[in-house]
Amino acid sequence: MAGITLNKAIKRYGAVDVIHGIDLEIEDGEFCVLVGPSGCGKSTLLRMVAGLEETSGGDIHIGSRNVTRLDPAARGVSMVFQTYALYPHMTVAENMSFGLRMNGHPKAEIAAKVKAAADILKLNDYLERKPKALSGGQRQRVAIGRAIVRGPEVFLFDEPLSNLDAELRVEMRVEIARLHKEIGATMVYVTHDQVEAMTLADKIVVLRSGRIEQVGTPLDLYHDPDNRFVAGFIGSPAMNFVKATVRDGRVHAPGLSDEAFAVDIALPPNGTDLLVGVRPHHIAIDPQGASHTLIVKEALGAMFHAYLEAPTGERIVVEVPEAEAVGLQGEVGLRMGPDRLLLFDARTELRLR
Amino acid sequence: MSYVTRVWQDHKTTITPWLFLLPGILMFAIYIVIPIFQSIAISFYRWDGLGEKTFIGLENYRELMRDDIFFTALQNNVIWLVLYLLALPAGLFLALFLNQTTRGIRIYKSLFFFPFVISQVVVGLVFSWFYDPSFGLFNTGLMKIGLSPIPVLADERFVTYGVIIAGLWPQIAYCMILYLTGLNAVDGEQIEAARLDNVRGWRMLWYVILPQLRPATFIALVVTVIGALRSFDLISIMTGGGPWGSSQVLAYYMYEQAFSEYGFRMGYGAAIAVVLFAIMLIYIGFFLAKMYRDEKGR
Repeated sequence: MAGITLNKAIKRYGAVDVIHGIDLEIEDGEFCVLVGPSGCGKSTLLRMVAGLEETSGGDIHIGSRNVTRLDPAARGVSMVFQTYALYPHMTVAENMSFGLRMNGHPKAEIAAKVKAAADILKLNDYLERKPKALSGGQRQRVAIGRAIVRGPEVFLFDEPLSNLDAELRVEMRVEIARLHKEIGATMVYVTHDQVEAMTLADKIVVLRSGRIEQVGTPLDLYHDPDNRFVAGFIGSPAMNFVKATVRDGRVHAPGLSDEAFAVDIALPPNGTDLLVGVRPHHIAIDPQGASHTLIVKEALGAMFHAYLEAPTGERIVVEVPEAEAVGLQGEVGLRMGPDRLLLFDARTELRLR
Repeated sequence: MSYVTRVWQDHKTTITPWLFLLPGILMFAIYIVIPIFQSIAISFYRWDGLGEKTFIGLENYRELMRDDIFFTALQNNVIWLVLYLLALPAGLFLALFLNQTTRGIRIYKSLFFFPFVISQVVVGLVFSWFYDPSFGLFNTGLMKIGLSPIPVLADERFVTYGVIIAGLWPQIAYCMILYLTGLNAVDGEQIEAARLDNVRGWRMLWYVILPQLRPATFIALVVTVIGALRSFDLISIMTGGGPWGSSQVLAYYMYEQAFSEYGFRMGYGAAIAVVLFAIMLIYIGFFLAKMYRDEKGR
């Protein structure tokens, strides 16, 4: 078992840097999720750890070993691919045992390891089938089984659930969480889905354009984002942002309310442009008010999403309990606690604390 | 609504495919299927192509059994078949070699594919010059390294192999293209998964790449076997079956018996054609059985 340390890891394609010197510490046994929009470099970073992409600068340690220049096979990692990457001409058992067979392990040991992995993943009934005869979820299980059989120090997952339908994705998500609990190995998991990140991770790393935006536990990132990007990326539905200005030591956000808010942090000078962020479920609707126009209600069951338009033209999403939402229409007002508002500098988009 | 319209409305989806198939079926029947049976029929007659046909039963086949040139041709066809199969590994090797992204790789690929595009007649001419004892590159080269020249196409021992090498040149190019296309479809993530499993080099080729190339291998095998069995153009251009019938193959011998200046023995030629057809039928049967299995497996 081993943690992973990245020191100023850089990936360069020709003259273009796609990973700009990343420092990251992943503890032994931790479930670390790399998350970010497409093109942010999260898969590249994972593949650098796997050794499938060469590291252009900096170094990567797994445990106490410097693996920066090692072959993928020598790093003690297993990887689960988005498209499963199962060998179509081999049965499930052959797929899982391929790596061990190629490296001359004794037959009895291989059989025992395949059996153990199949037990964990409930694949015993399918061992003699070819991947073609399996469903997407079963194929992904086999891919994970292949990773387990090799007994690696580190598991790497590259968007393993994005080829599955919504229902299976939830099921496999739980499965992976259970697996992590059972095996206890270090896992690095790449996804663009912030729900997967929130539910699986011990530690989330939010990436954008090859740089780390913030590292922290899911709830840290949710409640205490460092900047507007993280605040907007984590949480569903996404946080609302409206323009605001500092006026006489108070925050004036016309998209939320005509009245300025008092906040208990040190504000920049008068007239500075700010962004105010507030989560949809931190806003309540005041049916007596008339500051906003209700455009659409989406029924999700117990909760409704109400889409409002402010007089400034800004859109605001509010989460409303079913009971309050049913009769809602026309002009409404908003209520929210000022302590729920997050302030960001409009220019740097950094959080004001 | 008339009867015809009603039948059409009710069976549109059953009739339409047959309508689309009809032109193909007609052509195939007129130019392939019916002539096969006609050839088989003719092989039981003595016929000069113009005059009266005389039914002689299996006499043509009995004569074949006593015909030395026929057996030489049969043996040569087997040699062709075996050596032609070298086109598969050679084509695969070239494809692996050319399957990269370098500047101008398309030009190199086109150059390697070129022999397949030019006519077999041109290939035959080029190789005839190549083997020419007085000015050919082959013998000039032999003399440069101090060996005496070998008149490949005039020597009974070498002539068949010389022609086969000429035939391999375009055939390798063909197999190469088939494999290049196949390599495009190889799943990159499987290769990466194998790299993580510490598999590389020959083992990567054997366990991961080749299984994914099976469709390409199958097609390459079929076209190569058929190409070997129907070899005709090169024999005709380079040797005419000589010297003394030593480079004869069935297809050319049939033509010689039936249509050339040696006489118009339609029945005897047809008998040779029937034998060739029977040999091909083995492979066609194998091909069809495999196709049927694949279709059913889907």
